[in-house]
Amino acid sequence: VPRAVLDTIVGAETPEGIVLELRPAGLNARFYAFALDWVIRLAIIWAAAMTATYMGGIGLAFVIILFFALEWFYPVAFEVGSSGASPGKRAFGLKVVMDNGLPVTPAASLSRNLLRAADFLPFLYGFAIVSMLLRRDCKRLGDIAAGTIVVHEPRATRRGALNEVAPIAPARSLTPRDQAVVIALATRAHRLTAERLDELAALAATVSGDAGQSGPHVTRRVLGVAEWALGRRS
Amino acid sequence: MTPLSFEQLYQHEWDELETSLNRVLGRRTGNSEPVEAVSGARVAVLYRHTCEHLALARARCYPAYMVDRLEQLTASAHQVIYQRREFGLRRTREAVSNDFPVAVRKHARYVAVAAATFLVPMLVLGVLVHRQPELVLSVVSADTAASFEEMYSPSAGSIGRPRTASADWVMFGVYIRNNVGIAFQCFAGGLFLGLGALFFLAWNGAFFGAIAGYLTERGLSSTFYPFVATHSAFEVTAIVLAGAAGVKIGHRLLAPARATRLQSLVLATNDSAVLLYGVTAMLLLAAAVEAFWSSATWLPAGVKYGVAALSWAAVLGYLSFQGRRAD
Repeated sequence: VPRAVLDTIVGAETPEGIVLELRPAGLNARFYAFALDWVIRLAIIWAAAMTATYMGGIGLAFVIILFFALEWFYPVAFEVGSSGASPGKRAFGLKVVMDNGLPVTPAASLSRNLLRAADFLPFLYGFAIVSMLLRRDCKRLGDIAAGTIVVHEPRATRRGALNEVAPIAPARSLTPRDQAVVIALATRAHRLTAERLDELAALAATVSGDAGQSGPHVTRRVLGVAEWALGRRS
Repeated sequence: MTPLSFEQLYQHEWDELETSLNRVLGRRTGNSEPVEAVSGARVAVLYRHTCEHLALARARCYPAYMVDRLEQLTASAHQVIYQRREFGLRRTREAVSNDFPVAVRKHARYVAVAAATFLVPMLVLGVLVHRQPELVLSVVSADTAASFEEMYSPSAGSIGRPRTASADWVMFGVYIRNNVGIAFQCFAGGLFLGLGALFFLAWNGAFFGAIAGYLTERGLSSTFYPFVATHSAFEVTAIVLAGAAGVKIGHRLLAPARATRLQSLVLATNDSAVLLYGVTAMLLLAAAVEAFWSSATWLPAGVKYGVAALSWAAVLGYLSFQGRRAD
């Protein structure tokens, strides 16, 4: 399926010969996720430090070790878990997967997170930001080297209510693309305002033989054609 | 075939696959049906069918909601079916007894380059600073030099710091943070065509050399060397190995052979993951030894040198010989 030029979808082919579509997460979403993770880590350290003040030297050591662990292994611990994402990423619907769409392996997760040291340079994740802005798949250096990609978790698209209009036979023969467009319009109908729906339906009015007209009655006829294209006949 | 009849014909397979996947992933489905075992063969069959249906639905421009549903089904089935488990005690034992030392030997050339990059500046700076102590200022600031001198002064009661049991734990934390940070930098620097890795290796080598030369010249060898001898077996080796991994990815980026630069980088990084597991474990070991053994002042220097010699022999022997039979 040819995709629009602006789309950043990355295809991952499976052994079954289908292409899984991965939607790379951009700088914006990843920044929010990172910021949230950062706050969570800060809160953990703060809580640990509060507790540790009552424990003397051992407590201080515990805080330092915890700080180290959070610095390097906080993302790894969550990525190799079942969700494949740190809490910040999960909150924004992001997930780390391998380039082929599989769950991230522990080795790749470790590599991509240790390579943060390179992404961080020259300051404040400078190289990571440049790399993410330049690449269509929005990878930072660690992602490139480890062969991982941060994607948006797919969201369920709900099927629109379609049963209100009686099916109408199309006035001309419809190519598969035409059918798909008309059906797409029908499934989106309940999310559009009536005026906008009329405008869009007027563009497709040739399918019901109402070229050049517009208005609610034309819209009903176009939606009727959509029902027909879906396969309803009575 | 119209979209609706297509859906009617195959819906039961999609539903069955979805239910099985939910059960495998432990998702709550709302209705409390009895949990049955999921048949792998059945899931594989359903998955292949659903893949075919997705290809058909795309080719025939079926409505987006149907294509989306099939995409999600196949994507999560793909993840479940092809996932790899790399955990477990058996896997860890295999890594320790075979994979790690074998990987080190496989990368012998990179290890040699990294070791040379670390050791040559160390030796050169060590000798130079020993001859002309003021040269230490070319590597560290005067304050740092003074604090190192104070740390290893024999009059300080214990080596360097006021040591109690809890102070040992504090230093354990500090060492972990420090050393692991250095080693990981040496690896990550490899991304910059290997230059970063070489730079961090050389710089840290120069630093250690300068400090050692300076303290020796100051007559503090009797406290300094017993202190560093043991844990350096793990720490220096780990830093060199991390650097070797960095040099490797840099080299593969520069000279990708029969692959694109990116493919070659990804392959090199995957290869060096085993090294990183080992390096991390060695650094944790080094920090523990440094905090709890090296710092103990009540041990005579002879014992410490003895244990140090054993540690070096153990580390080098392990890396050179372990797992050879399986090679």
